Amino acid sequence: MKNTLGRRNFIKLTASASGALVVGLHYQSCMPNKQKAENYGFVPLIQIDTDGWVTLIAKNPEIGQGVKTTLPMILAEELGADWEKVRVVQGDFDTSYEEQWAGGSYAVVLNWDLMRTAGARVRHALIAAASQQMEVPASELTTRKGDVVHEKTNRTIPFGELVVSASTITLPEEVDFRPTESYEIVGKICPQVDLEKMVSGTVPYCIDLHLPDMVYATVVKTPVHRGKVQSFDDTQTRSVAGVTNVIELDNSEYGGRLLDANSPNFVNGVAVLANSTWAAFRGAEKLEVVWDNTNSRQEASAGIFKKFHDQLAETSVERQDGNIEEAKKRAVSYVEHVYEVPFLAHVTMEPMNCTVHFRSDICEVWAPTQNPAALEAGLVKLFGLKPEQIKIHLPRIGGGFGRRFYVDYAMDAAILSKKMGKPVKLIWTREEDVKHDWYRPASVQKISAALDENGKVIGWQQILANASRKTSLGRDGGPAGTEIDEYDFPAGFVPNLQFEYGHVLSDVPLGQWRAVGPTATAFAAHSFLNELAVFNKKDHIDYFMEFLGPPRMVPVVGEFKYDTGRLRAVVDKVRQNSGWDTPLQEGQGRGFAAHRQAGSFVAEVVTVEVGGNNQLKIIRVDAVVDCGLVVNPSGAEAQVEGAILEGLCAALYGEITIKDGATVQSNFHDYRWMRLNEIPEMHVEFIKNDLPPRGLGEPPLPPAAPALANAIYAATGKRIRKLPVGSQIQTG
Amino acid sequence: MASFTLTVNNKKRTFSAEPDTPLLWVLRDILGLTGTKYACGKGICGSCTVIVNGKSVRSCAMAIQYIGKDEVLTIEGLSEGADHPIQKAWIAADVPQCGYCQPGFIMSTFDLLSNNPEPSDEEINQALQGNICRCGTYTRIRKAIQIAITETEN
Repeated sequence: MKNTLGRRNFIKLTASASGALVVGLHYQSCMPNKQKAENYGFVPLIQIDTDGWVTLIAKNPEIGQGVKTTLPMILAEELGADWEKVRVVQGDFDTSYEEQWAGGSYAVVLNWDLMRTAGARVRHALIAAASQQMEVPASELTTRKGDVVHEKTNRTIPFGELVVSASTITLPEEVDFRPTESYEIVGKICPQVDLEKMVSGTVPYCIDLHLPDMVYATVVKTPVHRGKVQSFDDTQTRSVAGVTNVIELDNSEYGGRLLDANSPNFVNGVAVLANSTWAAFRGAEKLEVVWDNTNSRQEASAGIFKKFHDQLAETSVERQDGNIEEAKKRAVSYVEHVYEVPFLAHVTMEPMNCTVHFRSDICEVWAPTQNPAALEAGLVKLFGLKPEQIKIHLPRIGGGFGRRFYVDYAMDAAILSKKMGKPVKLIWTREEDVKHDWYRPASVQKISAALDENGKVIGWQQILANASRKTSLGRDGGPAGTEIDEYDFPAGFVPNLQFEYGHVLSDVPLGQWRAVGPTATAFAAHSFLNELAVFNKKDHIDYFMEFLGPPRMVPVVGEFKYDTGRLRAVVDKVRQNSGWDTPLQEGQGRGFAAHRQAGSFVAEVVTVEVGGNNQLKIIRVDAVVDCGLVVNPSGAEAQVEGAILEGLCAALYGEITIKDGATVQSNFHDYRWMRLNEIPEMHVEFIKNDLPPRGLGEPPLPPAAPALANAIYAATGKRIRKLPVGSQIQTG
Repeated sequence: MASFTLTVNNKKRTFSAEPDTPLLWVLRDILGLTGTKYACGKGICGSCTVIVNGKSVRSCAMAIQYIGKDEVLTIEGLSEGADHPIQKAWIAADVPQCGYCQPGFIMSTFDLLSNNPEPSDEEINQALQGNICRCGTYTRIRKAIQIAITETEN
């Protein structure tokens, strides 16, 4: 395999003062369709020391998705490094790294060729240097476990002895990638970075940071969304020993509720600063604030959902294939159902927090963020700083799930540090975290199918109505933004297909969530397909396979198409693994759903038991995944299990409700999360192939909820069309 | 402010704190032991679990004034180099994702296995159901506990 990034000079080799080989990466010039390469500098990527230790920079934020291990594994593989002698260091934010964010399952997709090319070029330099020393042609040399190896004569030279001469080598235009069958790191079980530190409590998360002269802070934010402070009495707060300052946070002084489209500003409230976290928390409890809620719509959940239902009748068309009305007229039968999903919080285990040291010349930030570029842009906007005056460190993060795409909490901390003239560590309480999230949008969907005399779908109309992320995050007013995507399944599979969107305005803050859009659309589509199978008295998987049709490339949007053979293969395999065709005991049932996202294919079967008293237990989950080549097998399996449990847990319990314009829930007692005693047996299998690796953090999540709902139907005959399952069936 | 003396990880520590300060914040802000995590502040998620006099407690919900001269064991005190059998089992099973809740799970497991070296699945469920892992590492936590049980037997 040849490298596919033909641009010159994106890797620079230099020798450091200590003699180490330092490899800089010019990221921009190796990204397709990027023209402004000259504005970007070289950023560190690889360092090889004279003792042979290899330091690799992990550039993307680590939120638990394993990217700090996975991307360096790719680099180390092409390099031919010894994983036991690789040190991984988290890179600070630098615009020159490009795509330095965590979200959408894109890290491996966007960095696979880049990491391989960088590693392969440095391997070439090491081999060229060894070729001179050994006086053998470079073509006879390879690298393995930190050595350049000449197999013919069984001679080796460790990387460390080659670094000085390698730094003078001119890099070639094109280098070969290592053949997949020779991989020694990629596709193998490698101990993840930080593993020992994580089990010793010594890995520093942002919340663990301590700086000299640091002030501790917490916030009390307006309970009613879009409210602001009218006045506050801090007498009791200031009587708490250790409390030093009470500062109002008013976003109207800093550009209002939004920094920019997709960048919410901080939420209005009052901050309490103290000499300890506990003093700040105690002080915050004693604060008496009068809130001004004149901007609030004073919403309640029931009213919001009523608006969504009403809006199903007034929509814009988002995709139109064939003629749905004509298909309805031709239909021999017609099926229509309505589905509802609630608002969901993220509840990352590490609550929102940020430490900022705002000095006269530089604003230094330690942030658990999935989106450091938005943080930098926010600081530029709020304080008129130049990017070079901002330094953002990216410590390991205690969970992301999309919450940390937004940087509101970091803006809080920056304002406080600037006002205090000292470093400030801000920690939100869990209660603030739950009440001031950017929730997964709730929605109502109506799906109608026109069927021919054989029960085949000739028309599919799917209407989604809700308040959208995009409107909440930036575009107030008209029906901008949509929560139903032209790429959504089953686009491409039905000749007469129509997606419509009904747009409602709401105060509820909305944002990304793991696999956000498909968590709603796939729940409805795959529940509905099960209803169609039942309607036609067919086995669900048989019906689904008929629906997919024969293996082929299915065009979805424009040039984009995909291979349904891969989707069929994961479905076949999960049918086999789950024992789909074997009988179950009384009260048990199996449900199925499949999904394609971020280039990966996933099929899942959930098996449940509904016992006496309607007690629901999820017994087992089978998942089969085709994500192309699996780079990090242990991490990949963890992502699949985690995504499925997150999907199941949200489906069982997840629900944020709104009353009088405010979020009702506040902590894990009323925003419940699955615990060890509720965890089903998990069986995850990956299809083995050498296709380019694709995304994995999100794709396994959306099928979990419909597979669960379909299993409950199979076990009980009760159809779950509204999430969470909650009180509809006794859970937990 | 009052003065307190605690034995933390076998070391005597004397410090001043407000009497209502939870042990969690004493450990984190005063003693610099940040392996014990804040996540709910109400004793419902288990991230702040430590061992006091041989029993697991939620340090976020236990004020320092009620602890007196007790012995406290935190994740940092479990071993010198991540080589306690439970930690080794956690490494073998590659348990953590984000890792934030894991010290709490490990300390709850320490309590369980100290008092019951061969717990049944049901007993494991009971002992660990006060802990939440948001990433969903539960299958591997169960696997790690089984490894720790086997290793301790040998």
